[in-house]
Amino acid sequence: MPLPDNLLRGSAPVMPLLCKELRDLFAGRAVWVLLLLLSPLAGSSFIQAVSLYAEASRSAAQFPELARGLSPFDGIVVPTFGALYLAATLLFPFIAIRAIGAEKQDGGLKLLLQMPYSIPWLMGAKLMALVLAWALVLVPCLCALGIWHALGGHLGVGETLNLLLGHFLYVLVISGIALFAAAVTDGSATAAIVTLAFTIGFWVLDFTAAGRGGFVRDIAALSLTAVLRNFERGIFSLAVLAGAAAAAVGLLTLAGVWLSPGLANGRKLISSVLVVAVAAVVVLGAAQLRVYCDMTEDRRNSFPLPDAATLARLGDRLTITVNLAPEDPRFVDLDRSLLSKLHRTMPDVSIVVASNRSSLLGSSDDTYGLITYKYGSREASSRSTGAEEVLPLIYALAAIDPPARGAEAMYAGYPLVADARKMGGWFYVALPLLTVIGWAVQSEWLSRVRRVWNRI
Amino acid sequence: MNALLQVRQLTKLYGEQIALMDVAFDVHEGEVLGIIGPNGSGKTTLLECVTGLQPADDGQVRWLGQSLPRGRRRRAMFYVPDGVAPYSEHPVHAVLRFVASVYRQPSRTMQDAIEALGLGPVLQKHVGKLSKGYRRRLLLGLGLIAPHRLLIMDEPFDGLDLRQSREVMTLLRAAAKNGRTLLLSIHQLNDAERICDRLVLLSAGSVRGSGSLDELRQQSGVIAGNLEDIFLALA
Repeated sequence: MPLPDNLLRGSAPVMPLLCKELRDLFAGRAVWVLLLLLSPLAGSSFIQAVSLYAEASRSAAQFPELARGLSPFDGIVVPTFGALYLAATLLFPFIAIRAIGAEKQDGGLKLLLQMPYSIPWLMGAKLMALVLAWALVLVPCLCALGIWHALGGHLGVGETLNLLLGHFLYVLVISGIALFAAAVTDGSATAAIVTLAFTIGFWVLDFTAAGRGGFVRDIAALSLTAVLRNFERGIFSLAVLAGAAAAAVGLLTLAGVWLSPGLANGRKLISSVLVVAVAAVVVLGAAQLRVYCDMTEDRRNSFPLPDAATLARLGDRLTITVNLAPEDPRFVDLDRSLLSKLHRTMPDVSIVVASNRSSLLGSSDDTYGLITYKYGSREASSRSTGAEEVLPLIYALAAIDPPARGAEAMYAGYPLVADARKMGGWFYVALPLLTVIGWAVQSEWLSRVRRVWNRI
Repeated sequence: MNALLQVRQLTKLYGEQIALMDVAFDVHEGEVLGIIGPNGSGKTTLLECVTGLQPADDGQVRWLGQSLPRGRRRRAMFYVPDGVAPYSEHPVHAVLRFVASVYRQPSRTMQDAIEALGLGPVLQKHVGKLSKGYRRRLLLGLGLIAPHRLLIMDEPFDGLDLRQSREVMTLLRAAAKNGRTLLLSIHQLNDAERICDRLVLLSAGSVRGSGSLDELRQQSGVIAGNLEDIFLALA
């Protein structure tokens, strides 16, 4: 249908919108308070991590084989970014909620929704501003990494960037939840409750799934904390990346639906159901993507390369029946050293947990602890939980010779005896002070001071 | 005069409660049309349904005779709501500049609005800290910066004293003279009588009369009365 005469045509420039969103975020105190809290939190985590790492490194000086277990990624990077996880979970949602809540409250949204921006543009600009706010919030953690490097510590680029990607995806989904909550509810307080219900719900799900198998475990794998855990282990998973991205886009679309002006609640509800259905299909579809990359320098999440190459060629289904309770430490060991690696390496693996929780309490069943491997028509059992014993068994079932292992370079570890306590001033005083200055620079307070100064 | 905007059979229900029922009126090009009625008569709901900010249960909005779908209304009209302090943590100049840059308006337009509304002394002040009067002037300023042919304002004189109201009326009259069409919702009948070319009387969500003051006098049979008498006779 042609446009009637006298209507404004063309689209509006994006920059004013983005600048407005940034001003919205930084004019409020939430970002600055978060930064103020995160600086000492990240600093404390980092200093503590360096201290523990130094102690372990001292032992490694006496027993060099211990050095192989000293990975800065596990010892320094992940604990330092733990502070960011806490901030993203408990504090960042308030910043994201403000992006819509403040405009709802002061009526700015009624003006914004009339402007010549489509809803996806509006949501995109809000998300972009939130990502920039998150980049600012990263500063204390990045400082810690810089200090670690300056102290002579090693940083694996791949595994560190992978962890950053994990945190980015985490905050993307958290922002999506917060924006959706802010769009649906009338007040920021209610939106905060809804968002925290989501994040605490993920914790509950994780807690419930710990030591359980089956459906609960599968559902818990979709929780946000599980998403981040993959990256904290140094695993890049395309399925997780695509799933988290789809969830974030779905949540933003939902937020957009509920912000759309002039849409009756019934239509919003129908559109929401459709968006949820599409997002669920995409997330579940993404879960089928089996592209993994072990980003750790010590390749702790993978079998040796020749084994991985051989296992990847096994086309038939390998069915593993585990007669262990999921909370049994042997199951945890088996999962970490074998099951997860097989799942990531082989094209078709099915894992059946045949036991239940009561088995741990004392089972008279002789088969408890037995793990059965079935490949094609052949079957074999073992009680071992280590790859060294089980891989030859799988090769035998597949009727192939074990691959010849070359002289792979052994991960030597990066022991370092360093003391980061003297950097406490940076995290506890300098960064908070810079934060206060940053806030003052863009606040009315400084313009008042400037006006008074000019008068003098 | 041609009808720039036609509203036909606009109906809005909140559950069982009727907010608007079969509301119909025309807005002619270059005129100042006032929607008048007591608090709760449905004025704001009507304006938000016309602009597309709220869904209507039934009815049509036409622009120069053609149906104007909800998604396109923001290209035709700009609505200045009542009781808002948009972007309360931003300084006044930032809010004005934002709207001006969104609509690619030259800085002269913004300056004219600032001068005309006397916003100069509060440009650096945050919107949330403005007095009611200045907040109202800021909203008027945003409306004047927006380039739309039809400007819709909810209670544009609320919070202004007598002198300020008269100044704003002069300003709006000048805008109308320069080709803008104004649709104003006003609950102060004296103000409405002073500025509007034509009036739509709204009561309990229904139109009780419409036309110029003289036409309304004839409709109500109150030949010598003022708008208050006419309204009481018709509502």
